[in-house]
Amino acid sequence: MTPKSYTDVSDQQVVVFAQEGREDAYRELIKRYERPVFSLIYRMVRDNETAEDLAQETFIKVLNNIDRYRPEFKFSSWLFKIANNITIDHLRRRQVDTISIEGSPDAVTAERARATAVTITSGGESPLEELESRELGGQIEAAIAKLRPEYRACIILRHVEDYSYDEIAEIVKLPLGTVKTYIHRARQELREYLEGVR
Amino acid sequence: MIEHDFPEEFVPIAAELQRLPYLSPSRDFADRVISRIDRLQPARDVAPVIASRHLELQQGGRQAVAPPHRRKVGLVRGTGRAVVTVGLVAAAAFMFFEIDVLTAILSAAATQYGFAMAAVGSQVGAVVLGPATIAYLQAGAIEAVLLYLTLAVGLFGGYAAIRTAAHIAKAKAA
Repeated sequence: MTPKSYTDVSDQQVVVFAQEGREDAYRELIKRYERPVFSLIYRMVRDNETAEDLAQETFIKVLNNIDRYRPEFKFSSWLFKIANNITIDHLRRRQVDTISIEGSPDAVTAERARATAVTITSGGESPLEELESRELGGQIEAAIAKLRPEYRACIILRHVEDYSYDEIAEIVKLPLGTVKTYIHRARQELREYLEGVR
Repeated sequence: MIEHDFPEEFVPIAAELQRLPYLSPSRDFADRVISRIDRLQPARDVAPVIASRHLELQQGGRQAVAPPHRRKVGLVRGTGRAVVTVGLVAAAAFMFFEIDVLTAILSAAATQYGFAMAAVGSQVGAVVLGPATIAYLQAGAIEAVLLYLTLAVGLFGGYAAIRTAAHIAKAKAA
C-alpha cells in the first residue's frame, strides 16, 4: 500500500513505511515530532543552535536505527527517550546547570545572548491576554530553566506532553519512585519560583 | 488531559504549563536530517528493492534489482578484485610454497574434494566479489557473462601459471 497522505496513518504504520526506506515516511515522522522534540530540548538547553543540533542528532539516530523500533512501545516515547539521553549527555558534557532567562550560557556574545533569550508567542488571544500570558508564560519558562535538568525533563513530559508516570520512567530510564519524587519536587520549586506572579 | 494529582495551588501553573507553545526548529530542519539518513529510497521510486545484502537475496521472495549506475561500477570492481586475488594467490604460491607439493595438493584436491572446493570457492567468491556483485549475478544480468569469463580465464590462467612454474622447477632440479 502506498498512501497518498499520512494524515490518518498511525505512527506505527508510518514507521513500517520508514523501515522500507521510504523518504516520505521519514519526512512524515519528522513533521509530526520536530516541534515537540525541539521544544523539549530547547527548554532543557535554552540555546536555539544547540537545540537544533541536538534535535537533529536525535532524529538522525532514531531514523537510522528505525529497524530497532519495537512496536509494543509508543514511537513518541522512544523518540523522547533518545532526545532526553542526548540532551542529558550534552548537559553533562557542558555542565550547563544554571540557565538564565536573559540568554543561554552557551552564548559567547551579547548579540547571541539576546538571540537566545526567551521569547514566547501564542495565538488566538487579545493583545492584553497575550501580554498577560506572555508574562506568566515567560515566568514559567524562566522557572523551568531554573530546575535541575532531570526535573525539567520530567515536568515537561508530564505537564506539556501528558505522559503518565510509567511512560516518563521508561523515557528517562529512572525508577518510577524517583520520577514521582522528581515531579513532586519540580512542582514545589515551580510554585516557589512563581509565588507572587499573577 | 492528565489526571489531577497535584495540590490546588499548582492548578494554575499546570494549566499554564499545558499552554506553553511548541517551538519550531529552522525551516530546513527536515532536509538536513534527511540528508544524513543512510537508508533512503526516494518517495517516487519505491517499487524496486535494492539488492544491498546477499543474505536478503537468498532468503527473500522479492527479486533484487541493482540500480544501473551501481551495476557497472560493481561489476568492474568485482572483476578487478577477482583478477587481483587470483594473481596474488598465484604469486604467493610461487614465492612461499614448494611447487611440487602445491601441484600435488591441487591435483589431489581437484579430484578428491571437488565438491568441498566448490562450496568453499563460492563462499570465498562471495567475500571477494562482494554482495552487490553476487546480487548482479543472481539477478541474471547480461554483464555477468563478462564476469564469469574473466573469472574462468583468471582461474585457469593462474592454475596454468602454477603448473608451468612446477615444470620449470622440476626441469631445473633434474
